[in-house]
Amino acid sequence: MRIRCPHCGERDNGEFSYLGDATVVRPDGMNASAEAMHDYVYLRDNPAGLHRELWYHGAGCRSWLVVTRDTRTHEIRDVSSARDVALARHTGDAA
Amino acid sequence: MSEAIASMWAPRSAWAGYAKPGRHGRTQGEAGVRLTLRDGIGLATVIVADGQTDALRALVSERYGWTLPEPGRAQLFRDRGLVWSAPGQWLAVAETREALRDLPQAFRGVAAVTDQSDGRAVVRVSGRNARTVLEKGVAVDLHPRAFQAGQTAATSIAHIGAQLWQLDDVPTYDVAVARSFAGSFWSWLTEAAAEFGYEVEQGPAH
Repeated sequence: MRIRCPHCGERDNGEFSYLGDATVVRPDGMNASAEAMHDYVYLRDNPAGLHRELWYHGAGCRSWLVVTRDTRTHEIRDVSSARDVALARHTGDAA
Repeated sequence: MSEAIASMWAPRSAWAGYAKPGRHGRTQGEAGVRLTLRDGIGLATVIVADGQTDALRALVSERYGWTLPEPGRAQLFRDRGLVWSAPGQWLAVAETREALRDLPQAFRGVAAVTDQSDGRAVVRVSGRNARTVLEKGVAVDLHPRAFQAGQTAATSIAHIGAQLWQLDDVPTYDVAVARSFAGSFWSWLTEAAAEFGYEVEQGPAH
């Protein structure tokens, strides 16, 4: 499998580390219920299909990436900088 | 007494104990690879502050006549300039550490500058088999249609983190690895170059 890093171009997946689901958002720890924290820390979906997940390009540009991958075929639909995804999420919050 | 102490602190090459100048590997014919040890090279990471990329671009152009490279590019003129290394990060390169001495002051408030001159071991790989040798360990495509002079890659070579940039079409490459990996990298490089015969030489002393 190869991942097309938005900064470095197409690279072997050995240059990356997998860091799991990119869609979970940490609840506000001061207010969240124990159940909500438990969900956030432990519970993950295991979809057969598209999955948005975090990868770290440790052997390259050392960037965090959000990869949209089909778990059935390993086809990669999209790779974005995690920084851009996070900034867009915050802009969305403000709007 | 003080003279004796001063002499104990003579700079030690990152390649000391590994690289021996002279001809090695295959003995017949002209050596296919030339390995030039770039001791004394000046290196510094430049990390731009949030939202200051345009200010940094203007500063490097006004103060140094350099261009801030786009991702994957190296902008060097006579062994001086900047090599892109990560989003918002570049490696400043010069023949000597002295040449980069005023960088932190010049970029104050715009970018963080950290001297790496002793932190990396740099070797110049040239000669007619240079590309073939590097291709044995680099997963990035180095064929001219994919990688040319003025391009750089942060990648790994034989599981060793490395940054390389291509200087000209001959082709000539500079490869930088963490200093503590110099011995492991040298053992891979010389094993890969042996079949072509290789010449090891000391770079210009500064």
